[in-house]
Amino acid sequence: MKTWLEINDLQKKIDDDFQLGPIDLHIDPGTITALVGNNGSGKSTLLKLIMNLANPDMGNIKVFDKFVYGQDESWKNQIAYLPQTRIGWNAYTGNTLKGLTSPLYPNWDDALFTKIVELFDIPLNKRYRKLSQGIQQKLSLALTIPRNTPLLILDEPTSFMDIPSKKQFIDLLVDWIDQDERAIVIASHQTGDIKKLSDYLCVLQNGRHVGTFEKETLTERYARYWISDTLPESTIPGEVSRENHQLISNNPATTEKFFTENDIAWNNRSAVDLEDIVTYLVNKGKEG
Amino acid sequence: MELPIRLSKDSREPIYHQIVNQLKALIAGGQLVAGTPLPSIRVLSKDLEISIITTRRAYQDLEHQGFIRTSQGKGTFVAEIEDATKQQVKISSVYQTIEKAVDTAVQYDYSLDQIEEIFQEVIRSQRSSRKGD
Repeated sequence: MKTWLEINDLQKKIDDDFQLGPIDLHIDPGTITALVGNNGSGKSTLLKLIMNLANPDMGNIKVFDKFVYGQDESWKNQIAYLPQTRIGWNAYTGNTLKGLTSPLYPNWDDALFTKIVELFDIPLNKRYRKLSQGIQQKLSLALTIPRNTPLLILDEPTSFMDIPSKKQFIDLLVDWIDQDERAIVIASHQTGDIKKLSDYLCVLQNGRHVGTFEKETLTERYARYWISDTLPESTIPGEVSRENHQLISNNPATTEKFFTENDIAWNNRSAVDLEDIVTYLVNKGKEG
Repeated sequence: MELPIRLSKDSREPIYHQIVNQLKALIAGGQLVAGTPLPSIRVLSKDLEISIITTRRAYQDLEHQGFIRTSQGKGTFVAEIEDATKQQVKISSVYQTIEKAVDTAVQYDYSLDQIEEIFQEVIRSQRSSRKGD
């Protein structure tokens, strides 16, 4: 399979306190990758670097085999990017914005635009700045998804939306990616997006790339144990956190081996929620 | 259509394996008849909150075993399967369920003799309640 987006050893120093990277990341057709991390972890910066809106200090980014900072800008027709804030849209109505956007994209799907406008009940005759933040996000999606580029990049697309709209958004994206060979990268704090949409989680913590994980590989790696005995004070192999009679491990095999060897009885093993796993990954980064 | 698949994330059985077994049971049990369209890999992944890598693996496994078929551009469908295969799925699902019950009892420190007693007790009460019907 051919990689559509390839990031190698990417590094960018923002100031004395913050450095992004090094990051290695591959995006393949048909996949959805969620970019997750604490606030200020560098998710938006990474997306800007992909779009050549900022310059890296080191490393390479290729989109459809073209360096994004190269002379050949043909890759721009194959990628649609929804930034967190849209600059210069305030004075225009949805109708005007559509008139400005659609001619730029040869695969623009007008029927899909209309479908999204009707689905979210977006008023097209009001100026952008007059719309609530939730409606602004809906209009932005209506102006981005119908570009029908193979690669879609979304930065926090649903943070202001209500619960039913978030659900409709998920169904919309699932339907969209199923239509053709496509891929999505989505920076999000929304549990629903991460659970229902993502195949891979790219985890960032204060600029550090904690890792990129396939979802089930990650969830199957974590286990929660209920221990009837008292736990030894020393850290147990695989231990991520403990509280009273509960122990979380990110290496169940070695943890259980330790239990057996040390005659520690545990009476229940259960899965750890993806949200908790992300929290452990991001907190672990803080200490290291 | 949302498939009646219930994943147990606490189980040691890998997720893709749970999907394979539950779909096989639905097909062998006749709830999903030959020709029924199945959700796309992406839609099932969304419904079950898993990655397409896991769902694809389950579908490939099922296709390999002849329970489903994929036709290019049209989607995935329940395949025609022989009665002998259906019987095999049913019997192995009954065995698995009983084995699981025994495992649970063993985990609670019951002896195999005690488990046998419980089993006979359950059978006896089923017999008498069925007679009453």
